[in-house]
This record gives sequence, structure tokens and C-alpha cells, in this order.
Amino acid sequence: MARFQATTNVVLDEELDALREEMGLRENQKAELLRELASMAAWLIAQARAGRTIEARGPSGVEVFEHPALRSASLVERLVLAPDEVERLTTLLESEVAMSGALRGTLSRLAQEDCRPPELAWPA
Amino acid sequence: MSLRVALLARDHRSLLAAFENEEPELLTYLRRWALRHQERDGLGRTWVAIDEVAGERRIAGFFTLAAASLERQLVTAGDLDRLPRFPIPAVLLARLAVDRRVKGQGLGTWLFDEALRKTLVLAAEGPIGFRVLVTDAKSERAAGFYDRRGLTRLTEGRWPCRMVLGLKALVGGA
Repeated sequence: MARFQATTNVVLDEELDALREEMGLRENQKAELLRELASMAAWLIAQARAGRTIEARGPSGVEVFEHPALRSASLVERLVLAPDEVERLTTLLESEVAMSGALRGTLSRLAQEDCRPPELAWPA
Repeated sequence: MSLRVALLARDHRSLLAAFENEEPELLTYLRRWALRHQERDGLGRTWVAIDEVAGERRIAGFFTLAAASLERQLVTAGDLDRLPRFPIPAVLLARLAVDRRVKGQGLGTWLFDEALRKTLVLAAEGPIGFRVLVTDAKSERAAGFYDRRGLTRLTEGRWPCRMVLGLKALVGGA
């Protein structure tokens, strides 16, 4: 455990050093670095608590910032659909009664009373 | 037959570290967040597939369900009459994973069926209604898995691919 912590601390120190340099801080400014990081984390948490989606937008698309710690801000996950997704969802809900072969297969499995779990073979 | 599915509990904590998967995010979630989200935060619930191998318990796979709402980004005036009423209440299949050592043996399908079974019971008999099951497939392989189980892709040309299954017809509300 101690060795694990030591390794982890080395890795963490390296990451913090890289961030410090990235942020233009000197070696003796670790306290300032932690203050900066804390303010960034606080901003992210505040946005999540306000129910906002945190995104990075670029020419190749949009990346949503997700972290399990931020999910505690809301009991219900808000999934925002893009216009093309809304269009497809609308079509789906309008034609919901028409079941695909794949869905019929799934329902057929669920309907089986003798629905046994698979027997797993683990490697030796 | 030794495989069974159980709600993640504190006495499973000693088994979490042995679970193996190629996706670090799934490992971190199971080991660090799943129980906390369930017990402390009241968020998603995680079910684990427990297998017994020579008297030793192992987590062979897991899935997490959570409440979600589908909301639309933009309101287009011309579409208002046609669009369903938003937000749409949904059950989110937030995660589904199988230990890499037992992949290809039908466990993913069995876990998906268990997740859908619980979703259908909730949608049919729960105190509030759910209109769809939704999941975000992270790769083409994952999307193909859900394709073959009847989910529909909402997202095209980007990842993750949001996929849904309408529940209304399945619980007799059509």
C-alpha cells in the first residue's frame, strides 16, 4: 500500500508539475497552482449544480465534459438532444407499434420462463 | 448454475478490484462511484452478475440504471405540432460491462435482458411513467450490440451514439 501510494504520488507530482508549467507558475508556486485548480473545479461544480451541460466546442464537434462526481448535482440525468436526434426520436415514437425483428427477438427471450443465465468459462 | 444478478451492496466491495475490462472509465465507475451514487447520492442503481468459481465469488459483469429526461436543444416553431411533449421521462442504461475474461459467452445479452426486464416492470408498475429506454453507445461495436436488441440510433456521424427503445408498446400502452 505504501509503495502504491509512493508511486501514485510521483505520478501525481509529475502531473501537477506539468500543469504548473502550463499555467506559467514557478516551482515555488504550488499553493497558487492548487488555488487555481480549486477555482476551476469549483466553477465546474457550480455549472453542474445549476443543471448546465459543460461542453468543449470545436470544428470537429462537441465534447461533453462528464465526471461521475458532478452527477450528484442532479437526480435526473438531463440528456439534451440535437435537432436531428429530435427528428429521429419523433419518427420512432410515431411508429412505435411496428416492432423490428431484433426487438421481437429480445421480447421473445424475455418471455421465456426458463430463461437461464449463461454458464461462464473463466480462463485458468 | 451459479450466476445470479444482485443489487450492488457493501459486501461486494471486496470483489470490485478483481473486475477486468478494457475501458478504464468503466473500472473507475464500478470501483469508485457505483456504490456511492447508489447509497449516498441516490442516483443510479447498479446490478452485478455474481459468478462462483471454485467457491470464490467474482463479478462477471454489471449494469447501471438511472432516471433521465430527454430534452431538446432548440425549438423549431414549424415542428411544434408534430414533436412529442418534452422533456420525455426515460430510463437510462448508463453502463453495461462484462469482465473481459468472459466476453463472448452471452453474458452481455443476459445482462441487457435483465436491465430491460427491470425497466419494463418500472414502466408498467412504477409510480411514475417512463417513455423510453435510452443509452449512449461509445463505439460502433457497442452500437451494433444495441442494434441487434432492437434499439434505434438517434445520433448519426458522431460519438457517443444515443440510442433509444420506446416502451409504450411494450408495456401495453399503445
